[in-house]
Amino acid sequence: MHNTEAKARVSAQLHYELSQHYYQEATLLQDAEFATWIDTFVARDLHYWMPVTERRYAKDKRPAPTPYDMAIYNDDYDEMKDRVARLLTGAVWMEDPRSTVRYLITNIEAFHTDNDDEFVVHSNFAVYRHRGQLEHSEHVGCRQDLIRKVDNGFQLARRKVSLDARVTEDKNLYIFF
Amino acid sequence: MIDMDKLVDTKSSTQSKQVFWDQDVYDQEIKNIFGRSWLFLTHESMLEKEGDFITTKMAEDPVIVTRHTDGSLKAFINSCTHRGNSICTADSGNAKSFVCNYHGWVFGTDGDLVDVPLREKCYHDELDRSALGLKTVRVESYRGFVFGCFDETAPSLKDFLGDWGWYLDTWMVGAGEGAELIGPPMKSILKCNWKVPTENFVGDGYHVGWTHASALNVLGGELGGLAGNQADMPFDELGIQVTTRHGHGFGVIDNAAIAIHAKRDEYAKYMQETTPKVAENLGEPRAKLFNGHWNCSTFPNCSFLYGTNIFKVWHPRGPHEIEVWSWVIVHKDMSDEGKKEVVKQAVRSFGTAGTLESDDGDNMVQSTHSNRGTHSREGVMDSSMGQGFEGEHPDYPGIVGSSFIGETSYRGFYRFYQEMMSADSWDAIRANDEHWADCFPNKDYWKDRLAAKAEEK
Repeated sequence: MHNTEAKARVSAQLHYELSQHYYQEATLLQDAEFATWIDTFVARDLHYWMPVTERRYAKDKRPAPTPYDMAIYNDDYDEMKDRVARLLTGAVWMEDPRSTVRYLITNIEAFHTDNDDEFVVHSNFAVYRHRGQLEHSEHVGCRQDLIRKVDNGFQLARRKVSLDARVTEDKNLYIFF
Repeated sequence: MIDMDKLVDTKSSTQSKQVFWDQDVYDQEIKNIFGRSWLFLTHESMLEKEGDFITTKMAEDPVIVTRHTDGSLKAFINSCTHRGNSICTADSGNAKSFVCNYHGWVFGTDGDLVDVPLREKCYHDELDRSALGLKTVRVESYRGFVFGCFDETAPSLKDFLGDWGWYLDTWMVGAGEGAELIGPPMKSILKCNWKVPTENFVGDGYHVGWTHASALNVLGGELGGLAGNQADMPFDELGIQVTTRHGHGFGVIDNAAIAIHAKRDEYAKYMQETTPKVAENLGEPRAKLFNGHWNCSTFPNCSFLYGTNIFKVWHPRGPHEIEVWSWVIVHKDMSDEGKKEVVKQAVRSFGTAGTLESDDGDNMVQSTHSNRGTHSREGVMDSSMGQGFEGEHPDYPGIVGSSFIGETSYRGFYRFYQEMMSADSWDAIRANDEHWADCFPNKDYWKDRLAAKAEEK
């Protein structure tokens, strides 16, 4: 599901277009334009995944997690759409007044795949959430995406979010990474 | 000296706000409650082979649990007996021994000290290894769920659970095959006192409609009507609350076991197929519970939602912070497809990014930190809902409250909390076995209510 092979690196022009797409995505999420994000930036065959990765010894030969194992996010398109719908009910008390969430997206590396219109894109993120007077948290990690070219831009088809922290230092992770 | 009668008042159903804030209260909890209760460690399914281990915590003490070479389960403190360093830094795995990173002392899977570098040359062969094993912890299992206890004088795990075990059997035995836990656990930090989520799970049906209005709005279904407390519902006919001798308790919403799961074809099929067998094994009263949704806490800090099937431990980290660990309960005899469905749905609602979980954390943090102010911390918190509308029930052990929206099991939790905080020993606690329920004085509540109901018919 998340194992599309990365081939040659994309051209400077394509890298620029993909980078701009990622910045636009971050802006939408920062501005709480969740409905626009899910409608136009996300493909209908989405799989959005944040596995739980244990701390294991180097000699431990157990396989890495798959989407059938414990995961913090393991959502298809409709499930992500329901998450957006929850945020738009007006009844998420902790989001009124709103949190601010800031995305720093870096280290974008983009690759061709066997499909002309699909690209494997890796990126790092630092996400900062501030809320109320002094409350703040930060989450650092990387994303491995499958991005598809569509008529007026790109859409996200697969996203694997890997957090660097084993223990999340936040009251929840209801943030779109 | 803490005034325990002021800290918890069982007559007026109040608790001092100090229970969520004060360091001296917390220190006594660590000693009297976490030092003497059975604390959840893991499930046997995570320690199947010899040498399998997991690391966890009992309150703030780091603990390793192993399957020893003789097949038994062992637990010991994860701290080298030489200079105190951790001897295991992985979450789980399989090991023949544990080697301390500091000086290389080697401990067996039973915690014994088996080897020490330079033993002959530098300890001159005079080190008494037999006296330097890791500090061990009592370990017992109930239906595969493994608990540890620091207190040699504590009752057995089975007796500590008491009537709560009768309830747990509903799903831990169920149709026969029982349940297991799926990990690895999600872990997160929540800046709240450990009792805030424990009391919420033990008996807070009240917050569901309001706190979770957004998620219930999107989810709809059986529980959609609760959203915003808008529906006019006959709450006394929809479920019960229960508290038991040692503070374990729960609330149950009838016929709502799997209502939080948006996708549930396999689970629904499983419930339909197994309910007759549960009735046969355990009787109709528990078959009814089997189909209900439970919010529960096993005293002191292990909570779960049966039906939704999330299973949590709140590890205290001082009075104002906890580490939340979350697993998923599955029925062993469910299809693989069914188990995967349950894991996914449980995490979607009550995992770290859960649609309902994300409503709760903020309340728990603020209920704790509002007590920072001296004046805010004066006075008491109320848990009187449904007081008097509770008593002994002909079908269900413990004290049973009239509705799933009530605070019977809050009162039961803090009743035992006060008892443990006050008692010098387990003998003093045992001496109260006959009288623990005296603070629920309406002895005939269910007799009268059931008689009145029979008359109506």
